[in-house]
Amino acid sequence: MDGLVRFSFYAFAASSMAIIAAAIAYVVFGVGRVRVLRQTLATSTGHTVTSSQLHQEAGPIGFARWGLMLTWFGMFFAGVAIVTRWIAAGHFPISNMYEYSLVFLFSITLMYIVFERAYGVRQLGAIVMPIAAGMTLYIWSLDPNMREVNPLIPALQAGWIMPFHVGSFNLAYATFAVAFAAAILFLVAERTNAKWLPSAEMLDDVAFRAVSVGFPLFTLGLILGSVWAHDAWGVYWQWDPKETAALFTWLVYGVYLHTRTLRGWRGRRSAYVLLFGFAATAFTYYGNYFFGGLHAYGGV
Amino acid sequence: MADVSVKTNPKQSRSMLEVAVDKIWRFFTSVRNAVYEIAFLTLLVLIGTLRGSSVPQWIADTIPALQPLVDRWYAWDVWRSSLFAITLAIIAVAIVICTLNRLPGIWTTITNPKVSTSRGFLRGAETNAVYTLTGTHEDILGSIERVLKGKRYRVLTERVGDETHFYADKNRFSNLGTFPFHIGLILILVGGIVASVYGFRDNEFIIPEGSRRNVGHGTGLSVELNRFRDNWSAVGVPIDYVSDITVYEDGRPVKSGSVRVNGPLSYGNATFYQSSFGIAAHLTIVDSSGNMVFSDAVDLGLFTKRDNPDQPAGVARLPQENAQLVVIGPDSDPFNAPELDTMQLQSGQLWVSLESLGESTDVTGSGGEGVVLTQGQPTRVGDYTVTFEREGRFSVLQVGYNPGIPIFIISVFWVLGGLIITFYFPHRRVRGIISDGPDGTTASIAPLAKRDWSGKREFFTLVEKWNETLGTKPAIRLPANATDYDYLRAHENDAGI
Repeated sequence: MDGLVRFSFYAFAASSMAIIAAAIAYVVFGVGRVRVLRQTLATSTGHTVTSSQLHQEAGPIGFARWGLMLTWFGMFFAGVAIVTRWIAAGHFPISNMYEYSLVFLFSITLMYIVFERAYGVRQLGAIVMPIAAGMTLYIWSLDPNMREVNPLIPALQAGWIMPFHVGSFNLAYATFAVAFAAAILFLVAERTNAKWLPSAEMLDDVAFRAVSVGFPLFTLGLILGSVWAHDAWGVYWQWDPKETAALFTWLVYGVYLHTRTLRGWRGRRSAYVLLFGFAATAFTYYGNYFFGGLHAYGGV
Repeated sequence: MADVSVKTNPKQSRSMLEVAVDKIWRFFTSVRNAVYEIAFLTLLVLIGTLRGSSVPQWIADTIPALQPLVDRWYAWDVWRSSLFAITLAIIAVAIVICTLNRLPGIWTTITNPKVSTSRGFLRGAETNAVYTLTGTHEDILGSIERVLKGKRYRVLTERVGDETHFYADKNRFSNLGTFPFHIGLILILVGGIVASVYGFRDNEFIIPEGSRRNVGHGTGLSVELNRFRDNWSAVGVPIDYVSDITVYEDGRPVKSGSVRVNGPLSYGNATFYQSSFGIAAHLTIVDSSGNMVFSDAVDLGLFTKRDNPDQPAGVARLPQENAQLVVIGPDSDPFNAPELDTMQLQSGQLWVSLESLGESTDVTGSGGEGVVLTQGQPTRVGDYTVTFEREGRFSVLQVGYNPGIPIFIISVFWVLGGLIITFYFPHRRVRGIISDGPDGTTASIAPLAKRDWSGKREFFTLVEKWNETLGTKPAIRLPANATDYDYLRAHENDAGI
């Protein structure tokens, strides 16, 4: 590998270590701890009665702070990996699944930090960061040849459109991951009334805000893809499987946005739609593995 | 006998037409139905998407009894089905009717909202703030108003008896954002329909190097491929391929230029896009009378030899002779399955076979009688003399005209603009009453933020500012999730909270 490409890979390796450590820290914080409260009572007969009560509470805050710091490191090193690879390749690095997933690592850590700062809900990290950690393991599992920088094939030589088209989707997927995490926490909070979680209302708001950021980004990605398709093939929609998979995901989140205004659907049912939406997001993200068609040049 | 008169008040009955229109209107304006319609469309899109994958076959492999269903699944062109078109049409109609239904109410909220409120609303709100103050209504309202206007709120007031009612909101026009977004979606559909009805498209416009082809579709255009250029990387991946073309209109050259992937060339009502390329063989065919019946390039590669996919093949059609010449080139990858290369053609050789025009092209070469041509050597093939002149290239372009593009571009601005306005400028509202009481003047204020955490958070930032301006802190009705709010956590020991 070229020196700069190798440096980029090392930066990714550093990022993946930070992200995995962050995920562990957040999970420890998020799972919380169980305290056993024991009470001993003396009875009138002279006997004593002891009762034990399990009391769940949030994990030590230090783990969450460590998790945030490690997430910052993960984001920074992922950014370094992207920039150095960009310089080495001469184009924004999103021409194969290695590069695309590397950019997603940056996006998901960025979006998580934004939402944690906005809402202060650290428990989100217990779900979002393991997703990021899973992505790092996926990147490690890819064919090492993908780490080499190759010239762009003509179809991907599209100037500014390619990074904005792919980047919009990348950021949207990252925010949908945050919405997914908020939906899970919402369902937990609603069912358990856990005191160490924020209220279901707040978590519902987090999920909605995440989708309200992600949905326009996703729409922008679809539009830019259409513009690019017109420049490349003369038609702005060809019912290509990757296109329609993205449309499927977009419609699922469209359903979610409508259910929030519907009596009886807001709350739990909307959360279930978000869980399904994230499954749709994963389906679109990994679609290159089982779709043919015009997008089948991702080096997969 | 009493004189009794029965006053009749005949119930006003609606005609069947009115009832039907009302039912249809309610159907299309129902958000619940909209959710079901979008969900159904989502399901159709999923079915169509999976059709382009191996997932259905995996299902059939797992549950063999489902193979007939999977076969029908693969055979069903969802995108061109009536069901898909009808679903899109229903959603489009629902968007239009919903827009017409909601617009008056939203416009009233924007231009002429109800200012007066009730104590019941303020008491029943999920949270409220009650200030006990001294001063006139005007002074107190002025302080409250200053804070609101500092945060870009519009403030409307109304005197109701001895009370001063006020209504404040910001981003009121964001309520309109949903309309351009939804209408933009319809415009996208309209653009697609316009393109399919009034435009044209040719996905495989093949031109061998040095040849000219008619575009057709009533354009009067023809295109000559002057030269084809390509660049390859060291690992054998194409990094650029360019067609240098000249466009002719009614036989006159009108435009020359290059076409590359993502770099189309347009003239008149036609745009040319670079798609792919291949090898071509330039042949001349002379009949037994010495007349040249064919002198052109035959593109090889669009077909392949049936029992050896590494051997490119093509067809030279001679309609005036009611014949066609099948042409097969050498194996392009001799190291891959060499046992399939039964012809063993060398570089500079072609295998050809004469057939009747229209007969299914048998590009196997295995059964048909054929002749091997060597470059530069005229060879007898049936009643003709065929010469393989030289090897060349062909370019595959896509040609099209899309009159729906301006509609699409307009719709893009509407869709994105609508989304930005709707999501990034939420409509915030507060209501309040200033009234005199035994302990002084009270200002009771509550947000319209039912189950809206962000709305309540914004309200508490206003409370923080009012505290500074009014010089006192209010009694707060705590929401159920009080610990979620920074203000309430910071002031949890304050009296009144």
